[in-house]
Amino acid sequence: MFEALFLPPLAILLLSFLDIAKIKRFLPIVSAAIFIPVLFLFASDHILYYHDLIAVDKLAKFVLLVSSVVSIGVTLALESLEKHVAIDAKDYKRFYRFFALFWIGMIISVAANSMGIFWVGLELATLSTVYMIKTNKSAFAHHEAWNYMIVGTIAIALILFGIILIYAAAKPAIGEEAMLFSALGAHIHQIRNSYLFEIGFAFVAVGSFVKMGFFPMNLWLANIERAAYYPVAALFSGLLESAIMVGFFRFAHIAKKLNESHLIGFTYIYALLTLFIVAFLIYRAKDFMRLFSLSGVEHMVLIAIFWVSGGYFAALLHFAAHAFLKPALFISTGVLESKGKYHIAGALRGYKGVKGTLFFILVGFFMLAIIGLPPSPIFFSEIFGFGAMVEMAKASHHLLLMFGAIAFMLLLLAVIFYKFVEVYQSMKYEGSEEPKEVYASEMSALALFAIALLALLVSFDYIEHIV
Amino acid sequence: MTNFFIGMFLSTLITAMLTTRLYRLIAWYAVNSLFLALAAMSEAVRIQDEAMLISALLTLVLKSALIPYLLKHFAVKFQAERNITPSIKVQYLIILIPAILVFTFYLIDPIIAGAAKNYISLAIASLFLSLVLMIEHRNVFAKVIGFLSLENALFLLAMTATEGMPMLIELGIFVDLLMAVVILNLLFKKEASHV
Repeated sequence: MFEALFLPPLAILLLSFLDIAKIKRFLPIVSAAIFIPVLFLFASDHILYYHDLIAVDKLAKFVLLVSSVVSIGVTLALESLEKHVAIDAKDYKRFYRFFALFWIGMIISVAANSMGIFWVGLELATLSTVYMIKTNKSAFAHHEAWNYMIVGTIAIALILFGIILIYAAAKPAIGEEAMLFSALGAHIHQIRNSYLFEIGFAFVAVGSFVKMGFFPMNLWLANIERAAYYPVAALFSGLLESAIMVGFFRFAHIAKKLNESHLIGFTYIYALLTLFIVAFLIYRAKDFMRLFSLSGVEHMVLIAIFWVSGGYFAALLHFAAHAFLKPALFISTGVLESKGKYHIAGALRGYKGVKGTLFFILVGFFMLAIIGLPPSPIFFSEIFGFGAMVEMAKASHHLLLMFGAIAFMLLLLAVIFYKFVEVYQSMKYEGSEEPKEVYASEMSALALFAIALLALLVSFDYIEHIV
Repeated sequence: MTNFFIGMFLSTLITAMLTTRLYRLIAWYAVNSLFLALAAMSEAVRIQDEAMLISALLTLVLKSALIPYLLKHFAVKFQAERNITPSIKVQYLIILIPAILVFTFYLIDPIIAGAAKNYISLAIASLFLSLVLMIEHRNVFAKVIGFLSLENALFLLAMTATEGMPMLIELGIFVDLLMAVVILNLLFKKEASHV
């Protein structure tokens, strides 16, 4: 059944060669067909495929489900893209084509059991993104596509470098199977050259962190998402960062068995530096895209840190909630910015009719949910995540240092919270009332994400038993 | 013999970093890849690994002939700026390069001794040197050469530290490299149509 996962993206790839204006209405149905193989995978106990190169374990199933919802939402929103931005028919086709390639790469890397396959999938997704950025014809987008090509491939190359080092460390003990996550996890204590393994992990982690916009590459993602069309940013935050995060989950899970204190020290220092810079960058953000993009970096930091602190439930809940909320916000940015890029004041005013009212309610809900106001899933994940961090701090040898780090992190989160509340108030109460158009396709995408978020709230039991 | 070729690999990379002309940089990249391929061949003969011999031959054909030829072709076609003075001054580079080399040997020191230990440190050093090569140039072609040298450093590591990665992965890397070059071509094309 695993192969059937590739059918919907392949179908979109082929259909994109036809007249896209006529068939784009049906493409969301095509992409929704991915639910069939995903649900079949959920029902079956079969985990390993293709000589253990592919492993659809509980984590992969969960991420595949989340990413399917995101893909369907983005396909829905893509339908009204031409109403928000100037895009010609040829580029529209190309966008769908590379979206399909991107999706294939993402499925490969999430379901990979071999580190090499994981990397190949990630590289495919990265290279196809270059083109999605390039569909925007502006000089800024052209420059950022180059930027993405270079920084993205450096990040990916660092990940591969780390993978090779890990393989070199594990091969004498495990043999050719050292390429497999499952074999590495099972035989980790047989590795004699643990220092080499840790250098490898450091390379993988730095590569993933660069890709997700951690310190010191905080602004590059924000620039790229600003330059590209709105759905690209939605795909970035919902799918690409998820794929990288799953890789980080798997590597960190293995590294934790080897030397927990090194892993925690490394990730905490990185996370603190990133949060410190990102909090103030968010505070100074003047447009929606950069605001949401930087907030994406913040949430990736939180997910990484919850995971290494042992709060697996919190990390996965946060991960799923962010994967639904952020694409929803990016898609609604298309409407919010219809009166100009820097019009934050009054962006939530002037919506008429049923669609408009629903849009207004949903976007307000998303804005407040992303900073963790209850009953948003982010609220629960942050409570449980910080709980896990405190538990870990109590068990460590550096109680005061760890508590200091946690308190500092909460302070920085407060800065971000303040900024979001301020932006929300400005959107709702300031500025003048200007009429804005909302289209059915993006409304259905937003509704889908809202339903998915509510579904998360009732699936705590399931998420708890993934790891 | 492998030691000699890897030494030449590193020295050509360092020379490439100090180059100020584009075509010469492309030529140094070709020579760099040639020594990489030779090192891979001698290593493949030593450990009698056919898969590595195939990847060595692929390196020889692709990286030391086809890709430099294509890059030169693009550079001529799109009339790239040929004067590429590094933004880091040569006197600082001369301090920086040995510092990187010494640092990587220091970094690798705690590893349990083995034949591959020096190779790993040289591979990490050439990774850092390629990153510097990428940082020091503003010209897009030079940045691309830096990226390709980074790919070479990866290959050096895969070849020496692991005695050959699984064939499937190596082929995947080659395919991705080719795709990257194709995408570069298209990006250049768009750039030309812009101007």
